[in-house]
Amino acid sequence: MSAPLSLGSALREMGLAALRWLAGWWRIVLLGAEILALVFSPASYRGERRASLLHQIYRATAPSLLWFTVLTSLLSLVLIRIVVVTARSYGLSQYALEMVVRVLVLELIPLIATLFVAVRYSVPRATDLYEGRAAGGLTAPGSPAPGVLASDLLPSVLAGMVAVLTLAALSCLVSLVLAYLTVYGFSSAAFMSYTRIVGHVFNPAVTLILCLKTLFFSLAVSLVPISVALREPPRPLSRTSLELQGLIRMFVVLLAVEVASLVGNYY
Amino acid sequence: MATSDPTPPPTPPQAAQASVRNMEAKAVLLLAFMLALLVGAALYLLYARGAFEQTQRLVLITDDSQGAAVGMDLTFSGFPIGRVRRIELAEDGKARILVDVAREDAHWLRQSSVFTLEHGLVGGARLRAFTGMLTDPPLEDGAVRPALRGDVSEEIPLLVASAREVVMNLAAITAQHAALRTSLSSLQTTMEHLNSERGALRVLMGNETDARKIVTALDRTNALLARLDGLTARADAQVFGPDGVMSDTQATVRQLKALLGEARDSLQQVNAVLKEAQAIGANTREATADLGTLRAEAENSLRKVQGLVDEINRKWPFARDTELKLP
Repeated sequence: MSAPLSLGSALREMGLAALRWLAGWWRIVLLGAEILALVFSPASYRGERRASLLHQIYRATAPSLLWFTVLTSLLSLVLIRIVVVTARSYGLSQYALEMVVRVLVLELIPLIATLFVAVRYSVPRATDLYEGRAAGGLTAPGSPAPGVLASDLLPSVLAGMVAVLTLAALSCLVSLVLAYLTVYGFSSAAFMSYTRIVGHVFNPAVTLILCLKTLFFSLAVSLVPISVALREPPRPLSRTSLELQGLIRMFVVLLAVEVASLVGNYY
Repeated sequence: MATSDPTPPPTPPQAAQASVRNMEAKAVLLLAFMLALLVGAALYLLYARGAFEQTQRLVLITDDSQGAAVGMDLTFSGFPIGRVRRIELAEDGKARILVDVAREDAHWLRQSSVFTLEHGLVGGARLRAFTGMLTDPPLEDGAVRPALRGDVSEEIPLLVASAREVVMNLAAITAQHAALRTSLSSLQTTMEHLNSERGALRVLMGNETDARKIVTALDRTNALLARLDGLTARADAQVFGPDGVMSDTQATVRQLKALLGEARDSLQQVNAVLKEAQAIGANTREATADLGTLRAEAENSLRKVQGLVDEINRKWPFARDTELKLP
């Protein structure tokens, strides 16, 4: 039987946990800064590193492109139909298209693309890197060598970002086309009015917020799991694995970005 | 940065690359596809926002810009022809709504166009343009026009107040001692009078005595008319009978016609005499002209004779001593 913990030791444990939590965020920010420095370094795109970067981009994007587009098309069709029919039944069909564009393009599709890339690429890639780290006998926290940063981490992070941007852009385009076809059918007569509605929705502030949101989503989904897998010190007593910790931190960042974008768009 | 830490071994891409042919080219294609998507989206949004269209400026002045928003459409017959670019407060405290109207649609706006800012019960405000006279001169660039406000939600309290007033008026009209109810009862009494004997006359005159007087007057008028009928028959016989006034008149007319014929003949003879006199007058005028010439010639001859006599007198032996000798 262990003795009950005293209040002081409990507080010390909480303080240490908070410090570890903050240190984890600091390590993520530090790795992000290092990656950013490498992004602007021409040496990161030469020889083997260039091949590795292109390989990761292909691996992150190409296998998911087709069936993610099909998946989001089906989801978009269902949502567009629901919104248009409901709006029509209330006599508000003039607002249906604007609502569809807002719900799908501004809110849902960037988030879905981000989560999809996280599940399909970033988290498995982080696991790969963590296994590599474990196989290398790394037991203490620390930064990888600059060569490893440029040849392995930078391609992974950039590949994740490219995958999010490509999937989100393609799915948004497909959703816009599907919304047009659902409402107007196969006719080009309403293209100008539809374009005007899209122009209404995408005013400069909304467009800027969408771009920033997608950029930060892609950065979070690419950087956070890999950073946690490589930089977080292993905690044998912890019941959560490093992958799960990375996912939790990633969701926290995504939530913060989403809330900030909602505040920017609707307040 | 610590570089002495053990590092994870980099994942060799060669093994994975070997399973995909031309992986680098495909990756470059993917990047190009992504860039094309992003650039295309940016260009489409610029086009949708009207960045590439020629516009002219229209300034709408209103006392309250509530509901107007940057980016909202100005519609004409339901078609968007312009966008609100800016909303500002003028120095006189009124709101200035700056609208960019596409040049290709600007011909729908004329000098006599009217602009309204309407608020519906559902949805946002709508900025609409109405043009009654499409033959008016077109609206110039930078024109300033008032925007009339039509707010349904503002109208509702007025509408309710008006409806309440109408209902109260109706209640007052249909009340127990209201004028309408009294009028209806009076009308009912009048209708009962109308249905009785000599009802209409009684309603018109107000009492039975006057109605009887009217009937009596009518009887007397009938008798008078009968007498007038006989009088007319007698007058007819005197005027149009065999020895009536009309026969004498006809004979007189015939005599007058004969007299007029004779007078016409006399006038023709007088006309001939006048023509003769006219000819004589013309001859006399010619003779008078000849006499003038003759007189001029005689005067000329006389002057010559006078000159000759004077000449002879100056000459000797007939010359007279014209010298005056003083004593």
